[in-house]
Amino acid sequence: MKIEADTPIVEIHDLTVSYDSKPVLWNVDLTLPQGALVGIIGPNGAGKSTLLKAMMGLLPVASGFVRFFDAPLDAVRRRVSYVPQRESVDWDFPTSVFDVVLMGRYAQLGLLKRPRKSDREVALNCLRQVGMEAFKDRQISQLSGGQQQRVFLARALAQEADLYLMDEPFAGVDAATEAAILDILQGLATKGKTVVVVHHDLQSAANFFDWILLINMRLVASGPIDRVFTPDLLQETYGGKLTVLAEVGDLIAKRQMPSREKY
Amino acid sequence: METFLDFFSFRDPSVVSVTLGVVLLTASAAVVGTFTLLKKKALAGDAVAHAVLPGVCLAFLVSGTKHPLVLIVGAFVTGWLSLVVMDAVARRSKLKEDTAIALVLSVFFGVGILLLTYIQHSGNAAQTGLDSFLFGKAAALVGQDLVVFATVAAVLLLLVGLFFKELKIIAFDEAFATSIGLPVRGINLLLTSLTVLAVVSGIQAVGVVLMAAMLITPAAAARFWTDDVRTMTLLAALLGGLSGLAGAYISYVAPNMPTGPWIVLVVSMLALVSFFVAPKRGVLVRYWQQRVLRQSIMDENVLKALYHLEEERDHSHPLSTVSDIVALRHFPARPLQWSLRRLRRQGFVERQNGHWQFTNAGRTKGRRVVKLHRLWEIYLSEYLKIAPDHVHEDAETMEHIITPELEAQLERLLAYPTVDPHNKNIPY
Repeated sequence: MKIEADTPIVEIHDLTVSYDSKPVLWNVDLTLPQGALVGIIGPNGAGKSTLLKAMMGLLPVASGFVRFFDAPLDAVRRRVSYVPQRESVDWDFPTSVFDVVLMGRYAQLGLLKRPRKSDREVALNCLRQVGMEAFKDRQISQLSGGQQQRVFLARALAQEADLYLMDEPFAGVDAATEAAILDILQGLATKGKTVVVVHHDLQSAANFFDWILLINMRLVASGPIDRVFTPDLLQETYGGKLTVLAEVGDLIAKRQMPSREKY
Repeated sequence: METFLDFFSFRDPSVVSVTLGVVLLTASAAVVGTFTLLKKKALAGDAVAHAVLPGVCLAFLVSGTKHPLVLIVGAFVTGWLSLVVMDAVARRSKLKEDTAIALVLSVFFGVGILLLTYIQHSGNAAQTGLDSFLFGKAAALVGQDLVVFATVAAVLLLLVGLFFKELKIIAFDEAFATSIGLPVRGINLLLTSLTVLAVVSGIQAVGVVLMAAMLITPAAAARFWTDDVRTMTLLAALLGGLSGLAGAYISYVAPNMPTGPWIVLVVSMLALVSFFVAPKRGVLVRYWQQRVLRQSIMDENVLKALYHLEEERDHSHPLSTVSDIVALRHFPARPLQWSLRRLRRQGFVERQNGHWQFTNAGRTKGRRVVKLHRLWEIYLSEYLKIAPDHVHEDAETMEHIITPELEAQLERLLAYPTVDPHNKNIPY
């Protein structure tokens, strides 16, 4: 079940991603519409984060390509913001909340330039939006999980991008933070920005998103939530791994086979 | 004392230049080391430090001179090579990174020692002084050597200053840095080169064996004092420079003594002091906080015991003896005595001919602890469905932790109950 977007701003074409030459995502091919709040849903180990990382060029791609705004990523990087998983960084790093948010401005600044007054103001505004202004000078190790997610969100907002790719922004947050983050994401979507979120909770997914990707080592479905979030498709996503697919993957890894022929 | 004054009056121009050189070298190594530490590459730094020795020896063997530039080039080549090998071994084989590091360190250093021994036995007249690269010799840092090494150090400081923002973001969140299009590979390459260069320039003062300490220790010590990368870097430079100064002094007093061990001893002392006395992160402060916490728990328990005693007598008369208290709850004698004394000093209890009695403030405090204990027991049995005979132990801890805000929340949630699961009154 795959529904193409009318005004695609993300196009993923036949994307296959491998770890150590073992494919973990097979032939993902889809388009995403502008102004949508997109949820990537699937069981543990389905390759949700992998898809996001591969889109951002953080993982080598075995085959296929990704285009944003009808251009390769490098041409439009400033319009794309990526929020890594909260656990991916060392929160004991000696820096303050404000400094982390200010990092969102580094792309605009370029190499060797110091943050300007305007950058500081943008960063402060973004902190205010996520309700963390009072924590501006806090050392980041003193934050709770929900506050860490808010700081990461503020950093993404400071990038002033048109497309946001977020890896589990709702993981480990309290109810109040969940509502606050959702509110901000929906605000972005109504302003015509596109937000893509890796999400693990089926229950809330039904209320959060208006476009859904169902993933389990391959794309099961992509489309508007009312067409895609159906018991049949969810069953296909969560019910049982495709054992043949997994075994072929192991085989490729064992033989160190390239997943695409060169000539 | 005389030599001390001689040295620190800096009248001797060679003293000035040696001191300046050593301080610059140690400070720049410390600055680069800050990022090596933050990137969690301390061990790799140690391996690189050892791996420059074969480079120095080879450069000498091939060129036949001790010109510092030649030696630096040789050191740089093997230092870099060691990093490449470490990376390749960790990535291409089944060996883990720590194994790769240990392998590279011992193999490169072994080859280095082999070459050094060969040079020493070859009877080459120019070889004198090459062995000072093992443990460092600050006094040798004069003339041409000084100019070359000091220039390298200055370049290091300049580069770290220029790329500070980039080094920081890559140390904190490499994936994000990549996603915004920063040249992450380039910056990583830069940091690696800086690390190798810092090691190379530092060996004249500290020596290859102990160079890793110069790279990492000042930064580790600085981390105890601050939560800001910028301050941490400056502080590391200061601590590194201080130990360098000490090294220069030792070199002046005892010219035949290797300086490296002394410099490292001084910087280790500074680190040790930081470890103990730094505010917030220091061990002593934390120990003190633990002690204060233990004392306040003890005091609250004593007040609670006094309240229980009064409760047993239906609040008719408030006087209790120490043996009454011990009969109720078996406190050890000494801590109980100290606690009662503390409580009296703080105005929570009074003493009347051998009997102890609450003040009003003491009764309120004791009552609150009892109330929190019983409220928590109710909470556990009602909300967590824990059997009444299993809730006491947990409540013993929680009664000391619950804040006034949580207390109010609990009271509201449980609707001001009157009795706990053991049918005891809840005092308000």
